[in-house]
Parts: sequence; structure tokens; C-alpha cells
Amino acid sequence: MVYVRKNVSKLTRTERRRFVEALLELKRSGEYDEFVRLHIEHFVGDGDRGLRAAHMTPSFLPWHRRFVLDMESALQRVDPSVTVPYWDWTRDRSTTSVPWTDDLLGGTGRPVDRQVMTGPFAYRTGNWTITESITNVEFLTRNLGRPRDPIDLPTRDDLNWALKDPVYDVAPWDSTVTKGFRNKMEGWGSGRVVWRNHNRVHRWVGGVMLGGASVNDPVFWLVHAFMDMQWQRWQRRHRKHRYLPAKPPGRGSAQYGRIVARHERLPPWDVTPDELEDMSAIYRYA
Amino acid sequence: MAVSADGVSVGAVQGAGAPVSGETGRWTRREAARLLFASVAVAFTPVLAASRPSQSADGQHETGTPFDETYRGRRIQGAPLPFEGLSALGVEWRVTVDGRPLHLMRRADGTWLSMIDHYSWYRTPLEATRAAVDELGPRRRLLDLAPGPFHGGHLHMEAEHGVRA
Repeated sequence: MVYVRKNVSKLTRTERRRFVEALLELKRSGEYDEFVRLHIEHFVGDGDRGLRAAHMTPSFLPWHRRFVLDMESALQRVDPSVTVPYWDWTRDRSTTSVPWTDDLLGGTGRPVDRQVMTGPFAYRTGNWTITESITNVEFLTRNLGRPRDPIDLPTRDDLNWALKDPVYDVAPWDSTVTKGFRNKMEGWGSGRVVWRNHNRVHRWVGGVMLGGASVNDPVFWLVHAFMDMQWQRWQRRHRKHRYLPAKPPGRGSAQYGRIVARHERLPPWDVTPDELEDMSAIYRYA
Repeated sequence: MAVSADGVSVGAVQGAGAPVSGETGRWTRREAARLLFASVAVAFTPVLAASRPSQSADGQHETGTPFDETYRGRRIQGAPLPFEGLSALGVEWRVTVDGRPLHLMRRADGTWLSMIDHYSWYRTPLEATRAAVDELGPRRRLLDLAPGPFHGGHLHMEAEHGVRA
């Protein structure tokens, strides 16, 4: 049966509690940290060699779609009623609005060390010790809005600018492209505008969300559910357009063997971008 | 005088507010507390030269210049590896903060980013390393064996075969 992913601001008190409890249970069992490691292992820069499956690449959107689906399946094994909510940062824009409340994700970090002190994921609860990390710090960190040098969340106009581009992605299929829905959403900028949409949200949250171990902050899932929702909106707006590239770059291309074409396998899964384009039989957004 | 964590002079301090002390030997508790307070006070003060992704112009450091300096109390060292590395652009760097490796990645436009901050990029390995120190603050340190996309110098392509222990 098709299930519904809701706006996090619309969750009932019970739905909030069950979502949080399912996350804590996955953390307790160790399964959550496998997601953190998987994300770290798939961060390859487009100036480095090797296949880019997850970032700076056309498959940024299907990779994260599948990643969120896997997390959602894990949560549903704990509690079948849970789905991953999305955070619409074009509406809930303050550092105290949802999802930064005590009954959801807790608030920003304290100034001295950016440690999150409130909510169910605060270190002192004993339930959220960070073990898969780049640094020795075991507590969740955030720096919402970067107060010393304030940055705004992306706006509805930023989203619409991406959504109105009818082309999914363009050569050379990396972080330098200035056209195509994919990088306009992923948000690798250049010149004056450094961060757009997705990247800007990671920057706005700060703390662990800035680094390779960003999955340690559960807001990761709410961010990527909203990203995924935008991909679906884009698909509906441009029904004749699909994931690109349709075919792999040739042997003579600098991108040969470095990106995932529509019918190629998307590591680490045995699935193709083509097979991840239509989610209507699995979930819908409300 | 600038000293690194182990008390060895390593040259000029870059940037403002680096929590350094010219005194070596044992600290009294009060001195230690004062130093701690000082380092906390500067903990996340933006050092704009490093914190402005790719727009800052250091001017003195080209990408290929090795560095070894104390920056905000951290010893940062970096040098290009003497063989062709994993970078498609031809040069792989070894960078450390207080002796612990910091993994740098490259963008296709030749700029650099680090595992500490995946979403900003810098013109040189030095700028990317300073920005990582800014983000670390005074208390966090890198792990000796942090997980990453590279293991033992080989690109990790086997993630699908299970998670490392």
C-alpha cells in the first residue's frame, strides 16, 4: 500500500514521538551507524578519480532517494506506522521552528562547542553518542544560521529557479555545471553564490551536517525527503523529461566510468536510476 | 613566539587569536584555566581569510607550495605526494592537523574541500586546511583512522560488500 510522507510541521504529537523513538531504536541497535558509514564512503569529489554515485553527479537525486527509502524501511521494521517526514525550509525558517523543537530534533548547539543540549538527540540523554565521525567529538553539533556570519536558508524562489529548468542534468555532469535541475538542487555554486538549495541547507544547519558524517544529524533525512519531493515536483512539471544521461559517456570522455547513466547500476545497490524514477507505488507526499 | 602543541616552534602564526603560549613546562591550574578560557573565547571566531570559500585570495600560497605552520594553535602541514595520486587532476596531497590526517578532496575546477566541511571549497590545500581548523574549534581533533572514501590509499569501491568493522 502506498504510504504518505508528511510535512514535519503537520505531524501529531504521537507521530513525532514514534518517529523519534524509531530513530533511537536504530541507533541503539547499531543499524543507524551503518547509514552514516555508507554516506561517508560514497563521498567522492569530481576532481578525484573514481565513480561518483552520490554527490557532484547526476545520480545525486536517485542515490539519496534510495538511501532515504532504506532508512524508512529500517524505521518501519521498528514501527510500521513511521514514515520519513520532510522539512520545508521555505516555510519553517527560524532556528526555533520545527524541526528544532524539544519533541523532535532539539535545537541549535551551545556557543562554546556547538553541542546540542536539548531534545532527544542531546548527548546527555545517553541515546545519541556519535561514533562514526571524522573527529573525536561524540556529541551532536549544530550551528543553526551561523550567527557570527549569518546565512539564510534557501527560499521558494531558489527552489522555483531549479524547478523551472526542464533539463535534468548536462555535461560534464559534475559540480561545475550551471544548467540542469540536478545541480541547481544539489547546489554547487561558483563565484558569488557559493551554496544553493541542498548545499546551502547543510551549511545553514552547520556542525556535523557540514562534513562527511552529516547523517549523524537526523535532520539529514528530513532534508533529503524534501529534496526528493522536489524531484517529484520537477518530474510532474516536465513530464517529457527524464534522468540524464540516458547512455554512459564514451571511452574518450573524461567522465567515462565516473558517473551512472540511466540504465546502469547505482552502487551500492542493485538498482538503476531508471528504476528509481517512479515511486508512486511506494509513497506519496502530502 | 608561536609553539605547536608539543612545544616546538614551527614558525609564524597565521590568523588572529590563535591560542598559543610562549611558556613551556607545567601550567598551574589557573594558567590552564585561563588558556582554556582564551581558547574558548576565540573558539569559533571567524577567521575570514580562511572562512570565505574560494573567494579569499591569500596571494602567497600557490596550490603546489607545501606548508608547515601553526594556525590557531594547531600545527598544520601539507605537501603534494611525490607520485601521481588518486586525483583526476594529477596531484594528491597529504595534509595533517596536529599530526593527524585530514582528507582533502578536489573539485573538477581544481578547488579543494575537506572531510570536515564538504560544502565549501578553497583555492589551495592550505586554505582548505585552515578552514577545517576554523570548523574544528579548540576542542575537537581529527581521528587517526577516520572513516573515509579512501582506505589505505586505494579508492574504496567495495562499500556494497558490507560496512567496515
